[in-house]
Amino acid sequence: MTDGSLRMLDEMSARQAARAAQGAVPGPHWNLDQAAVSLDELLNEVPCEGVDLGVPAQIYSSGMNVALQRWPAVLTEAITAPKPPAMMPPWKPHRQKVTTFGLTFPEGESFQTAKSAADKGGESASKDEEELTAIEPPRPVSLMDDEALAEAKKKLVRLKPPADALSIEDRLFYLLQPPLQSWLAGQELIMPFEPFPYQYEGIGWLFSKSSALLADEMGLGKTMQTITAIRLLVRSGQVRRVLLVCPKPLLPNWQREFRTWAEELPFVVVEGDGERRRLTWTMPGVPVLIANYESLVRDFAAFGEDEFPKFDLVVLDEAQRIKNRTSRTAETARALPRRRSWALTGTPIENRPEELGALYEFLEVVPPNATPDLRQLQYLAKQFILRRTKNLVMKDMPPRLDRDEYLELLPAQKYAYEKAEKEGIIHLNDLGDSISVQHVFELVLRLKQITNFDPLTGESAKLDRLEADMEEIAASGGKAILFSQWTKVLDWLAKPMAKYGALLYHGGVPTKQREPILKQFKEDPNSHIILMSYGTGAVGLNLQFAGYVFLFDRWWNPAIEDQAINRAHRIGCKSQVIVTRFISKDTIEERIDKVLTEKRELFARILGEGDDCNASLSLNASEIFGLFDLKARSNKGTKSIGPK
Amino acid sequence: MGRLCGWSRTSQMHGDGDGKERWMSHGNQDPFRMGFLTAVEDAERGFVGGLLVTNRFGRPLEFQCTAPVKPNRAQQILYGPTLRPFVLGELLGRTLLDKVGVKPHLVLIESDEIIDLRQHVPMAVAFLMDKVTDSATQLPFGKHGIAFHPDFQGDHAEMARHAKAIPADADLREPFERVREALAETVRLGTARTA
Repeated sequence: MTDGSLRMLDEMSARQAARAAQGAVPGPHWNLDQAAVSLDELLNEVPCEGVDLGVPAQIYSSGMNVALQRWPAVLTEAITAPKPPAMMPPWKPHRQKVTTFGLTFPEGESFQTAKSAADKGGESASKDEEELTAIEPPRPVSLMDDEALAEAKKKLVRLKPPADALSIEDRLFYLLQPPLQSWLAGQELIMPFEPFPYQYEGIGWLFSKSSALLADEMGLGKTMQTITAIRLLVRSGQVRRVLLVCPKPLLPNWQREFRTWAEELPFVVVEGDGERRRLTWTMPGVPVLIANYESLVRDFAAFGEDEFPKFDLVVLDEAQRIKNRTSRTAETARALPRRRSWALTGTPIENRPEELGALYEFLEVVPPNATPDLRQLQYLAKQFILRRTKNLVMKDMPPRLDRDEYLELLPAQKYAYEKAEKEGIIHLNDLGDSISVQHVFELVLRLKQITNFDPLTGESAKLDRLEADMEEIAASGGKAILFSQWTKVLDWLAKPMAKYGALLYHGGVPTKQREPILKQFKEDPNSHIILMSYGTGAVGLNLQFAGYVFLFDRWWNPAIEDQAINRAHRIGCKSQVIVTRFISKDTIEERIDKVLTEKRELFARILGEGDDCNASLSLNASEIFGLFDLKARSNKGTKSIGPK
Repeated sequence: MGRLCGWSRTSQMHGDGDGKERWMSHGNQDPFRMGFLTAVEDAERGFVGGLLVTNRFGRPLEFQCTAPVKPNRAQQILYGPTLRPFVLGELLGRTLLDKVGVKPHLVLIESDEIIDLRQHVPMAVAFLMDKVTDSATQLPFGKHGIAFHPDFQGDHAEMARHAKAIPADADLREPFERVREALAETVRLGTARTA
């Protein structure tokens, strides 16, 4: 319909509406403009003509005609209107119920119980806290330089849930622990040194294992990793009672290491007579017990069945001791009631792969008397053994690692030492003004010899320790250089060291024979140790294939010691060199060491770290007198005692 | 997913009766605690919220997480851009803070998206910022800084008191990684169990 027609329609409707308002009948649809007065008029308007149809027609009265003249009636009827528009159900924001799932850590449980008390005494609590936080935590000392440290910090070690942890709370327990670096960053736990990255990995690995064999090569810090892992387990409420078993000569070493790496962790050594040992075993509230293999076997037998105390963790150091599974030691170790079992050894396999079977049996990962085949051993090794060699962790480590081993004198040595010292001092005092540096020097030398071994009985704490280390070095095919001040000591050592293919190299060896000896040490796979004197061995030799250096006794001057160490630690050496210094505790050796360390530190402070100040570090006369609380006589001057 | 009660590790130990906690005793009755609140989104299952309460050194004290929550179509349309803040803050965050047994003094969140959670919980809520100035609503905290809800001025003063308890080199973003890993693990295990 066009706009024009629309307009017309509109006009017509308007006219009709006007007429209707005047009471007129609207026009017919064909002529709306025609206003009609009545219906007749309308009908008259219809044009029509008569047509003869030739059909007779009659009109009957039907009544319809009347009806035609009337307006049709309009009836109305009430009908139900349609429903109002349907609405969506009303929606209001509401909080739906959310299911939760949670776990509380052992440390958190104690907070929960303390909470109600804290609510009551909140003010005093916050006061306590202020006092607590006022103490600055000590900063860890790093063995690495800044660059190495920055590199290492990038790799944070996170604990991984062990493969055997299946329940969700077990897995979350590990996943939610902070990275080891921040856990050990000297905040809650004081670490004397920053561990190396591979050590962090080792600690994390041990922490999450209930059966573990840590088989790092000697010198990589099995002791430190174990102690730190124990410390973390105790801290996180995972263990309360730990038993550490080690060979007897290593007892002092473990005690010292515990004091260094976990100073807050009390430990007790199982020693003394039978009654005292029994008391120690059952003593409550001691987190760490340290025992040697012999007393463990003896005391375990002395307790009745099921009477022996239970442990959350048992650690066997030098675990190759139980490689023979029928030995009493192995049987006892397996019978210990425990929840976690760790074994430490640098040489998990000494001769045959079956030796591993005995260790696995202790770890309870194979059934009793099982003999796993090579494939099974490989599978178990992946699961339960962590072994790193020096070459593997080379980039993590400094090229030279120094260890000071402080050893307790054995009883006979101690007796001889004390006697000699007492008599020596009396003799020096008797000398009065005629005393000279030479006299004191003689006494020092005599005492130093006793710290090496007791001349009467041959007892030697240093030899015991050396043997323990050599066992491991030889088993891993390593080579070691040992230095001593005295050819006599070297000759004496040659016998016990013969089983490690010991070779002698000192001033007493004819010059012609020296070169073949060095050649043999380099080429003979059975020759694991060469015994050298400082004077002969310290200069001019290239022995960088040796990974270990032992300083059986100390030279007066660290510079000479450094020269000796540098036989092995030279440019071109392929792996790290581990230097072990034996120092007898509470003896002249410790005192000399202290004086030398103080001097070295003083020089370093004045001249800076890089300065080679060792040459001036020899003891002077007054310092030698000071070793025995004697005063240098005024006219004796300060004569320097150094290597000739 | 039912709520887990208790923690069996401690009860399994061979401890003796008295004195066993001596070397681990807490000198403080109500030491400062932080809550790290975050969520992961799974395309099929929806949002899973997690809250880790730690001590001031980041050592875990309690962990709570929710079952997956998936907003329905009506919520998605009606909430529009406010859906995430609603689900993450009011729904998941508030529920977790109601449920957690070891209540944190400060709840840390990663962005300001759900800062309005503060209106529904009694403890301070703050979001992490890399750089802050010590102002009325911002505070240096650990290695980072935190910013508070502008309507809760008291939070700043309260937390300024605790800020010194936090080691200056503490990385406060790291615990969120832990929460996310734990949530991924629960979703993974949950899926494995229902499968």
